[in-house]
Amino acid sequence: MVAPRIGVFVCHCGTNIAGIVNVPEVVEYARGLPYVVHAEANLYTCSEEGISSIKHAIKEYDLNRVVVASCTPRTHQPLFRNACADAGLNPYLFEFVNIREHCSWVHMRNHQEATEKAKELVKMGVAKARWLEAQEEFESGVYPAAMVIGGGVAGMSAALNLANQGFEVHLVEKEPKLGGRLLKLNRLFPINKDPSELVESVVKAVEGHSKIRLHMPAVVKAASGYIGNFDVSIDEDGQETSFKVGVIIVATGAQVLEPKLYGYGKLDNVLTQLGLEQRLKDGEVGEFQNVVMINCVGARIAERPYCSRLCCMTAIKNAALMKEINPKANVYVLHRDLMTYGVEFEEYYRKAKEAGVRFIRYTLSNPPKVVGRKRVKAVKVYDELMDMEVELPCDLLVLATPLIPNDDNAELSKILKVPIGDGGFFLEAHVKLRPVEFAMDGIYVAGSCRWPADIRESITQGYAAASEAVIPLRRGLVKVEAITATVDPKICKGCGICALVCPFDAIELKESKIRGLEGKIVSEVNAALCKGCGLCAAACPNRAIQQRGFTDMQLLSMVNALSGKR
Amino acid sequence: MKATSEEVQTSVKKLFEDGSIGHFIGYETGSDSLHVTPCFLKSGQAASRLVWNPLCANNLSKYLLDFKKVEGKVGIMVKGCDSRSVVELLKENQIDRDKVFIVGIPCGGIVDTEKLLAVLGISPGEVVAVDDDGDAFLITIREGTRRVQKEQVLRGECLACRYPTSVIYDVLLGEAVSSLPWVNNDYIRVKELEALSLAEKERYWKRELSQCIRCYACRNICPVCNCPECIFDKKAPRWLSKANDVSENLVYHLVRAFHVAGKCVDCGECERACPMNIPLRSLNKKVEKDLLELFGYTAGIDVEQQPPLTTYQVGDLDEFL
Amino acid sequence: MPDTKEVQTEFKPKILAFCCNWCAYAGADLAGVSRFQMPTNVRVIRVMCSGRVPPELVIRALANGLDGVMILGCHPGDCHYSEGNYLTRRRAHVLKRLLEYIGIEPERFQLRWVSAAEGAKFSAVVKEAADKITALGPNRWGDKR
Repeated sequence: MVAPRIGVFVCHCGTNIAGIVNVPEVVEYARGLPYVVHAEANLYTCSEEGISSIKHAIKEYDLNRVVVASCTPRTHQPLFRNACADAGLNPYLFEFVNIREHCSWVHMRNHQEATEKAKELVKMGVAKARWLEAQEEFESGVYPAAMVIGGGVAGMSAALNLANQGFEVHLVEKEPKLGGRLLKLNRLFPINKDPSELVESVVKAVEGHSKIRLHMPAVVKAASGYIGNFDVSIDEDGQETSFKVGVIIVATGAQVLEPKLYGYGKLDNVLTQLGLEQRLKDGEVGEFQNVVMINCVGARIAERPYCSRLCCMTAIKNAALMKEINPKANVYVLHRDLMTYGVEFEEYYRKAKEAGVRFIRYTLSNPPKVVGRKRVKAVKVYDELMDMEVELPCDLLVLATPLIPNDDNAELSKILKVPIGDGGFFLEAHVKLRPVEFAMDGIYVAGSCRWPADIRESITQGYAAASEAVIPLRRGLVKVEAITATVDPKICKGCGICALVCPFDAIELKESKIRGLEGKIVSEVNAALCKGCGLCAAACPNRAIQQRGFTDMQLLSMVNALSGKR
Repeated sequence: MKATSEEVQTSVKKLFEDGSIGHFIGYETGSDSLHVTPCFLKSGQAASRLVWNPLCANNLSKYLLDFKKVEGKVGIMVKGCDSRSVVELLKENQIDRDKVFIVGIPCGGIVDTEKLLAVLGISPGEVVAVDDDGDAFLITIREGTRRVQKEQVLRGECLACRYPTSVIYDVLLGEAVSSLPWVNNDYIRVKELEALSLAEKERYWKRELSQCIRCYACRNICPVCNCPECIFDKKAPRWLSKANDVSENLVYHLVRAFHVAGKCVDCGECERACPMNIPLRSLNKKVEKDLLELFGYTAGIDVEQQPPLTTYQVGDLDEFL
Repeated sequence: MPDTKEVQTEFKPKILAFCCNWCAYAGADLAGVSRFQMPTNVRVIRVMCSGRVPPELVIRALANGLDGVMILGCHPGDCHYSEGNYLTRRRAHVLKRLLEYIGIEPERFQLRWVSAAEGAKFSAVVKEAADKITALGPNRWGDKR
């Protein structure tokens, strides 16, 4: 074993650090630390000059560990790691010490203590660096194909996007037709166009595309593996088919709630908005004189607190349409709030009002009441503005209900091992920063299966998911940062605690194939799935599983360095 | 205790004869009439050595770990507490259920021999036998017999025992006992210690743990302390210095309490094995109490139940913010 | 033991803070960028997730004489690794109670949630810890009684 030869580079960062911390004192202190054979100060370690200095020192002093004391690893670690690599030193033999954000910038009035603190932080960094080991990043190939689950607009958009980029796409749709809910719609807001044209052109493109393999009707039965290497098995109209893909996009959409409110299902003349769309599409809406529409039916209530976002626009669209069909009809929309965001939707709402649609606000605590036995005759509603209850004659009651998760979401989430969030919709990796992917690498999400989305949003998300998915496809390989977990099978007792705590199912108990340990059940880490969180390493009583870059030895040495113990 | 030593001997002999087991772990008389020791049989021939009486304190489940590679099934006799250790060993894949034949034996309490000698005012050599007599123990001494109320001489863990009958078994010798009459209030000692001031707590534990000679008997006797390379034996990193001072002793005992958290079933062996009479049960019982209160968890009952520190509830108590 | 020397040396606690890379460490960086001034007592060790911190390490740190140990992680529900901090939370409950049971002041070990956007909270947490632990005095773990 070669003895560690550590080089320490303390950055002035102009006056950012040097103005508070006595950099020469820290350099001098570093020289006296165990295994430090070289220490220097740089004006800006991240500059061309600073980087050259590191590379030069590595060669000149035969350094096999580098410690830079400057700013934060969150921005500059890759830069310094690359510098080491360029000089022939494994990039994982580099350690970063933060003496700017965590020291000079926050102790500006206390130079002496800031300097003492900087010294201690360097001492800790050097202690850890002594125990660093060279690491190789694990590379995994990516199978150049994708699976899109769901043949609605979101799924079709994603599939076309990937196929147009030259990748083979398996499109799995459970219904015997492509198009999803778009097939049932009469008009699209706010353009008031018949969706048939859009649907037909997209479906034609999908069906005719040489790169898209359509599996319809089919459902996903099993999926195993990891990014770049998923093994999928589907049930295609009674027959089992298997194939391999590198990435998966989930675009299974949602369903419209059929409520148990306001006489739906019991009284003759009560429809959901979707039901109305179908009637309008088929030309079967019949005679009507008094249309009442109620919004937020089964939405924004205790058991379903979310807003489904599209129903207000749908209601306004259909209300205006009913007015168009029969200008003499009374059309009321009873609402709690109106979600008509942006310019186009607000304009649409205004036009509906101009056309004579009446809007009445009701509150959750005082909802409308239906009058009638076999049919709805009237609807009573407490009009907030007028501060009185009004009775509206009604011969057609239309309920705007929210989109709710599909019944098979739970099963699909188990098959793909992706999470379901509040309310039963799929949960993305991060609501702001990673909106179209799952925490599970290689699986992406688009459309209403994640959260109620309109056509435009569904298509946009389909494209977005496709462009995320194409990254590993195009690269052809996935590189995993070498901070993953490793098991020492000699020590492992196969208790399985690590496998239980792993959030990514990256650890499995398997029979060892190592000479001398044949047949012994030990943990094995799948480096492609391991995300480097270290939960396993903390849970193992035996310390048989360690996280590279954050081993017990490394962390304990920092604690001992700080507390002055050997 | 309904089963007698003879019944145990007969049953075990039969188990050997019908091929149910190839080995048996039980109890036999030890170095004197106050001691019982583990007994390892390879055939039914020596089954007459087996005993069952209120001195059978040992948690035999520990020895199952030594029998992992033998041919044939290993039979083992377990009391309620011991059977819970078996459950924990099963949870951690340390034993194969198919290779173990569990003979459950309902227990009416084990005698704390030191308490017994103190209460009776006799010396160890005077005791001939100890038997279970319902709500009391019948002690045969040279001059005759003496009857002692169980509560006076039971081992600490028996005073708090909620599982007198094995929770897992292939055969049960004797009638199941659902509860013991003297058990009504758990964690009395832990609550007493919790009520002390911080300074008093520090004084108490430093006094007790300064007695520790780091013999590791508590670790060695504990069934769930079975790591191939114990954290305290490692050299890189070294978690404990060799120094036998109270601050290192504290580290040892705290870390061990944490490592057995959720696995310790309060069999009491650690305290029994300790040559310095350190109240180790009071430490592990505290963790046991917290796991029950915080997470509704009890060790050694359900093989399918996940260890409490490997899982979570989104709604877990959060005092941290 | 009270200091009877003529020159009183003021007790300055040394506090270790394990910060998770994605939230707490970033929050500490933000505190720096925002120039929130704080007491100099805290030393940060970066880990990828608060769940990496084993209770043994906290116990060892306190036994070594560090006056306080903190684990700072993402708010529950926001863990970069989805579940890590839930496990940290459970471990911390058991450890905190166990430490108090043997006479260690509860303020010496803390688990706090600091997000990447909470630079102000980081500095508040540091200040609070420094104040509280200064008031407690030096860690007496190693003192023989």
